[in-house]
Amino acid sequence: MSKPGPSSPQQRAPKGMRAKARPADRIFLGLSTGSAASIMVILAGVALFLIIQAVPAIMADWQNNPELNEGPTSGYANFWTYVGPLIFGTLFASAIALIIGAPIAIGIALFISHYAPRRLAGILGYLVDLLAAVPSIVFGLWGIIVIRPFLLPLSDWLNTYLGWIPFFGGTVSTTGSTILAGAVVLAVMILPIITSISREIFLQTPRLHEEAALALGATKWEMIKMAVFPYGRSGVISATLLGLGRALGETMAIALIISPAILVSVRMLTEGENSQTIAANIALNFPIATTLQREALIGTGLLLFVISLAVNMLARIIAGRAGKSALKKRKKMLAQLPPSDPSTVLAVDDVLAGRATAAQATTGAAAAIDGDETETSKEEREGNDA
Amino acid sequence: MKLKNVAAVGSLALVTALALSSCASSGGDAGSTDSATPTSAAPTIDFASLSGTITAGGSSAQANAEAAWITAFTAQAKGVTINYDKSQGSGGGVTNWLAGSYDFAGSDSPLKDDQITQSQTLCGPGGALNLPVYLDGVAVIYNLAGVTDLNLSSATIAKIFSLQITTWNDPAIAADNPGVTLPSTPITTVTRSDGSGTTTNFTNYLSQTQPSIWTNAPGNAWPIAGSSAQQGGSGVVNTVKAGDGTIGYADHSAIGDLTAANVQVGTGTDFVAFSAEGASNAFTAAATTVDTGVEGDLAQKIDYTAITDADAYPIPLISYQILCTTFADEAQGELTKAFVSYVASDQGQQISAKNAGAAPIPADMLAQIATSLELVK
Repeated sequence: MSKPGPSSPQQRAPKGMRAKARPADRIFLGLSTGSAASIMVILAGVALFLIIQAVPAIMADWQNNPELNEGPTSGYANFWTYVGPLIFGTLFASAIALIIGAPIAIGIALFISHYAPRRLAGILGYLVDLLAAVPSIVFGLWGIIVIRPFLLPLSDWLNTYLGWIPFFGGTVSTTGSTILAGAVVLAVMILPIITSISREIFLQTPRLHEEAALALGATKWEMIKMAVFPYGRSGVISATLLGLGRALGETMAIALIISPAILVSVRMLTEGENSQTIAANIALNFPIATTLQREALIGTGLLLFVISLAVNMLARIIAGRAGKSALKKRKKMLAQLPPSDPSTVLAVDDVLAGRATAAQATTGAAAAIDGDETETSKEEREGNDA
Repeated sequence: MKLKNVAAVGSLALVTALALSSCASSGGDAGSTDSATPTSAAPTIDFASLSGTITAGGSSAQANAEAAWITAFTAQAKGVTINYDKSQGSGGGVTNWLAGSYDFAGSDSPLKDDQITQSQTLCGPGGALNLPVYLDGVAVIYNLAGVTDLNLSSATIAKIFSLQITTWNDPAIAADNPGVTLPSTPITTVTRSDGSGTTTNFTNYLSQTQPSIWTNAPGNAWPIAGSSAQQGGSGVVNTVKAGDGTIGYADHSAIGDLTAANVQVGTGTDFVAFSAEGASNAFTAAATTVDTGVEGDLAQKIDYTAITDADAYPIPLISYQILCTTFADEAQGELTKAFVSYVASDQGQQISAKNAGAAPIPADMLAQIATSLELVK
């Protein structure tokens, strides 16, 4: 564009027309640039701290080191046999929490966005957000006093009738201090994250899509299946993985509720066979750890850091792929529709025209989740143009 | 730019880092403004002349006693502020003290050899003193419907906690309790999931009295999988209380309204309930001062097999205050010394016994502590 006019605000105005930068502008620019840079510095600093502190313990000879052979780190051949079960426990507890929590969270989000009367939806949304404000230590105490005894009858039932499934086998707990109880509380803790992001995404489904589906004779559920879910899929997956990130790092609730052991076990209802998680293990053993033991614990923290990084990257990859494939599928579906009926053609045109709005809406939603604004919108637009 | 994504990871990492670095308490000496009058004799403290701040932390076992001592001490010495951080645990307390953040550390175990070496960097060639100022007992608590009075021999305790006995009507328990009807409820042992000085004391007791049954090395982490492992003494107490057929161990001062078992003394037929007097007698009978090579050091070693009299409780628990013989800041040294002298005085011990459920340290040990404190400057 050779002549940038006032109609394109993104374009820079010519030098003479630009407002003169005042000191306040420069100060704010400096502050915000500094803030942005500090994230990088902090992240790099944390990674560096973890690596530097962890290396002595990772490299140590665990079998012959007297310091590592007492207390919480005794009895392991090397760092990896110590951290292995912890990684398993972390992923296992989070996975159960996700299996319990994610469907409920998505259900709540859908109810708020598409079923509830407006006033009820407002109240529900507020309540879900309130859940996010409860400190995890309170969740932990609630887990000990309420959830543990509450789950005991269920545990007994599962163990008696479904004990042949490895998950429900073993000697059932009498105190309720099981990984199941911990995962149920974790599921409640990740509800707000998944619900609020999914709700935003569902709300941004273009009216045109929904109305087109309804006009084609779809019931409400069919409309949700055809219009809302495909549109929101990538966002919901991202929301779920963010919930997983929260579950992976949860510490106090797990440390308080679960009776841990450092071993690999899929049993969910026992007292002594609950796989310990990394974060809870650090919290429980840090106060008494000697120098090298602390370094070993920091080493496990480094691996949690790596796992969280991997989960976030996975979330991005899945979100990106799901977005693309959903778009392809929709276009294929639309292309297969017979163009004979003028109303169908009209509807298809509407839907296609709706894509442009949809692309923008997705962009907004994606920005809310992971901020990859330009990339997503570009993909969407390219797909749309093709 | 995937900035926000990075940010999400970063914030998670930051939380982890904050959790990790929470031990690096700023602490520091808030040097006293006017120098206190030197108090040479320990029991006579000139409270009015003292001012400043003492920063300390460590063992949670002695936290209630510390709170009671601090309240009583600062009620008289108006110019003094004392902070005791119990969230650190014994290990964290010693680590922070060695780093110079604390004036004294509270610890359930005396300094280890390498820590003694490290302490000379902080305290100079005079080293550091382990002063046994807190005495309590490890209580074996249980919750079993219909049973309110239970005797347990050391062998039975060792078998229960090593999971060799799994039901309450086991012949070994019945033999300890003639005439008591025991239900067939399965036993759930409740232990500590976090490292603890209480665990150290209890596993020491088990491995000394029943080495053939309890074959695990003593330590601050519970060595056997298969128990219900809970965080903190309160976690153990709550879980024992909530379950049926549960048995656990905890500092006696923390057990609340739970019933504690009567524990067999030695190998005889006497079963003793915890009492402050019993713990003091056990201290007299079993604790001997270890020679650590540091002048005035009073680190104790308990020989649990030496507790054989019916007037002694078999599982005493000792906790220490650890401080330098030479403080970098002389006034701070005098202030800390005044507080520790008060704690190790007859009055201080009565306060912890009355307000924190502890047992008083025997008088001859208090006299030895007073002598050792004269080395502090």
